[in-house]
Amino acid sequence: MAKISRRQFMKLSAAGSAAAAFVTAGREAPAREPGTQRSPAANPGGNPRMALLMDNSLCVNCQSCRLACQNENNLPVREKYIRFDYLEQGSFPEVEHHVNRHSCQHCADAPCVEVCPVDALYKGAEGFTHLDFETCIGCGACRAVCPFEVPVISTDPETEAPKMYKCNACKHLLAEGQTPACATTCITAAVDYGTWDEMLAKAEDRVRVLRQDYPDANVYGETQQDGLGLLLVLRTPPEDYPHLI
Amino acid sequence: MPMDRRTFFKRSAGAALAATAFAALDMKAWAQTVTDAPVELKPSLCNMCTSECGMHIHVKNGRPWKVTGHPGHPVSRGKLCPRAHGGLQWIYDPARVKTPLRRTGEWEFEPISWEQAADEISAKLNRILEEHGPEAVFGAQYPRPTGNLYLNRLMHALGVSTTQTHEATCQAGRRIAMSATLGAAFDADWENSDYLLFIGRNMGEAIRTGAATAFARAIERGAKVVCVDPRLSQSAAITEWVPIKPGTDLALLLAISNVLVTENLFDRSFVSNHTNGFVPFRRHIQQYTPDWAEEITGIPAGKIRDIAHGLAAAAPHCAVDTGWKAAVGSCYANSTDTARAVAYVNGLLGNIGQRGGISVPPGVILGQPEFPAPTVPDGPRNDGAGTDYPLACTNAGLPHVTMERAQQGKVKAGFIRHFNPVRSFPNYEHMRSGMKALELLVVFETHMSETAIEAHYILPEPSFAEREEVVKPVGDTVAMRTKALRPVHPETKSLDESIPMLAEKLGVGEYFRFTLDEWNEALLAEQPFTLAELKREGTLAATVSDEPVLPEGCGTLVPPREQAPKTRPRAFLVSNDRNGPRPVPQLFTRSGRFEFYSREFERAGFDPIAKWYPPETGLELGSKEFRVVHGKQAYHTHVATNNIKILAQITRDYDATRVWINRSRADELAIRENDTILLRARNGRTAEARVKVTERIHPDMLFAPAGYGNRTPYFEVAKELGGFNPHDLSDYLREPISGHTMMSELIVEVEPA
Repeated sequence: MAKISRRQFMKLSAAGSAAAAFVTAGREAPAREPGTQRSPAANPGGNPRMALLMDNSLCVNCQSCRLACQNENNLPVREKYIRFDYLEQGSFPEVEHHVNRHSCQHCADAPCVEVCPVDALYKGAEGFTHLDFETCIGCGACRAVCPFEVPVISTDPETEAPKMYKCNACKHLLAEGQTPACATTCITAAVDYGTWDEMLAKAEDRVRVLRQDYPDANVYGETQQDGLGLLLVLRTPPEDYPHLI
Repeated sequence: MPMDRRTFFKRSAGAALAATAFAALDMKAWAQTVTDAPVELKPSLCNMCTSECGMHIHVKNGRPWKVTGHPGHPVSRGKLCPRAHGGLQWIYDPARVKTPLRRTGEWEFEPISWEQAADEISAKLNRILEEHGPEAVFGAQYPRPTGNLYLNRLMHALGVSTTQTHEATCQAGRRIAMSATLGAAFDADWENSDYLLFIGRNMGEAIRTGAATAFARAIERGAKVVCVDPRLSQSAAITEWVPIKPGTDLALLLAISNVLVTENLFDRSFVSNHTNGFVPFRRHIQQYTPDWAEEITGIPAGKIRDIAHGLAAAAPHCAVDTGWKAAVGSCYANSTDTARAVAYVNGLLGNIGQRGGISVPPGVILGQPEFPAPTVPDGPRNDGAGTDYPLACTNAGLPHVTMERAQQGKVKAGFIRHFNPVRSFPNYEHMRSGMKALELLVVFETHMSETAIEAHYILPEPSFAEREEVVKPVGDTVAMRTKALRPVHPETKSLDESIPMLAEKLGVGEYFRFTLDEWNEALLAEQPFTLAELKREGTLAATVSDEPVLPEGCGTLVPPREQAPKTRPRAFLVSNDRNGPRPVPQLFTRSGRFEFYSREFERAGFDPIAKWYPPETGLELGSKEFRVVHGKQAYHTHVATNNIKILAQITRDYDATRVWINRSRADELAIRENDTILLRARNGRTAEARVKVTERIHPDMLFAPAGYGNRTPYFEVAKELGGFNPHDLSDYLREPISGHTMMSELIVEVEPA
């Protein structure tokens, strides 16, 4: 059976009997989709590795990405794949305010994929980390090993089963050649989507401009965990942010 | 059968349950035919704020599942803000008005038929018109083409001249100031500007989507962008922030003008050829030095000079954004003159109609429908616009003044559509008691708002996703809202049905004998596409005018069409060539020139050239006193969206109803993060609020995130959110020039609760 996202899971639950969707810990790992592989390393078959770029220096924190994501992925109201960290530095009137998107960083070397006891987590063709929502047992092993404290374990209101919630890079849209919902809707174009190389180059260009005013501006994600599928532009050092290393 | 609140909710719950069952069936059908069930992209215009972004509603088996921005629409440009996404839940909100309702008691209603509602309303209105005349009646709404057509036409047919909008709580001051000085309120060409100065405007959180995109594009391009704001907003956070003492922006702008004039940095060619009154202006501006302004604003004189020099160096590809509300709209006693000072700086920079400067968009050529129209009545208004407030725009009016007249028994009936003045105007008690004094209040609404629940009759409208409306010119396009969904509540009627029905009963049906399609086809007569094509596409590029298109302005300030000079290019002709000749556009003022010296202001008894004066509440604050300033959060619109669960969840996640207080001031008053404080206004009214303690705010100011504190008991989610609303403390105020509400003239004393 093919891997299913939360969105597809919702569809199937509605269609078939809800009981059929229940999974136990003892269940055997389903076969992997062709063209997918475990981290790390490059993608097979000549698929270019893709990335989301979050330029925090252009973000007005309007939360449109979060909302578009929630609708796109059929999330319950209280769950969100995109959260934000805030940083207030200095004292009035010399104050700076910085934001950082806190969501799955899509590590090339993804410990969550390694540790998942039911193999619900896997790497997709574009290099993102996906979750088979049906297989997930909500055990929280991924949360324990995630370097960025991303996975949220919460009850699925449809089945009342514990599940893990995190960004899946809108896998269903990628399959149709479309762009993740956060990038499509972003009103300041702070979020972009493209090949990993393009996104890295764009981020580096932006950082060069930012360094005129912010000497510590940096691209985060080129080397961490063998490279992140969510690249960040930061105006201050990563260690300033509670969820970055 | 009387329906109290409980019954209302039981009915809602029943309807919600039915909707869920229906949805489940749909989902099943959908899943079974997952490959062939088409997703239809229905073009629409968002209605979660007044920007009305073009968008596509993705509909599968009759249910909306997501929205995406319409790429061809000039306001959304393919993007959408959070409220658009949250808007899908608004359609299915339990607090929707589902049937016509008749008041049975305080905030209690019973359902009645449309026929009965129309009969009763027309009988009561006819009696009021007979006994008190049309001056005792008003119509008010958020001004958009459909309401402008139907509601205003009905009012005019009945002889009612008091038609109003929300503007006294919005851009009233700005519109008058810009009309008198430039002829119209111009937008900046943000995207192509090399230097942008924002005066309190918060592009990223008070969102017009395409404007936010252009704002960010300028920053990304490396343009210099400066946000003057007493608070480090999310917009200021991605630009250079210049903090200012609240209410003193006028002093800053006069000082920037002073530098441009005294250092000979102004555009001499523009000023000498296209302006009036520069000589007295130059004399007048000498007193406003940067050192003088530093004392008032708290901005170092050197910084003020830097801004002036930066603008001059980038001229004419630079702009002082003309703002919207904030410091130039309806906040302070000096807001109107602050807006005039914004215009002065732009005039000195010679940026009008220039790339990266300021300009007005082109006018779409609309046909003139030839259906019989009522004459526009010229009888007295009940709100003083045009008389007590001679410069006030009579197409916007002063609803808060009308409420005073209602309390005095002089206004008896009101018709309100898609507008919530009871909660969105300062002084809740003033607005509410005005409404309660009416003998007839009819509200056309989708939801049980604070204004709707004061009505004698609530007439239910379909939501934005379920109704079709009058086509809307936007920039160089025409856009329209189409029926993306079948009505969720079948008893709802859109204005093109409900108003003609009322008009027939009132004996003025002759002015409404056309269908919406007929009206729209007439408007599109000169366009290269048909109505059917527009319905399919949602937004289409339009033919724009070659003749001067006069902006809809303030009656006394905009010249008649025949007086409009035609010798120069129009104001919207942006000169795109950075190196070539720079044609100077025609302006829409009475003289056709830029007015440093306004004879209209002088005639009305105001300063012909804006001079410095402080806010009405002064600049001196006691040791426990703060000025309360409110502003938007990106994910809510005023008090309208708090009941939307997915938006309310953001408020919860970030504890975002809290009032902001400066850390040093909080320390002095022994107030800690998340404490509850007591706010006591100078008028003695009190309220409580929880605080966020932050360095991101001027010590004089408390920031109230706008739009919390709903009073309608029908908004259950909003009620749980709670929150402080400054309108509970504020006074009923009128600024002398425009009559606006002076929303930030509110000083409170603060102590731990």
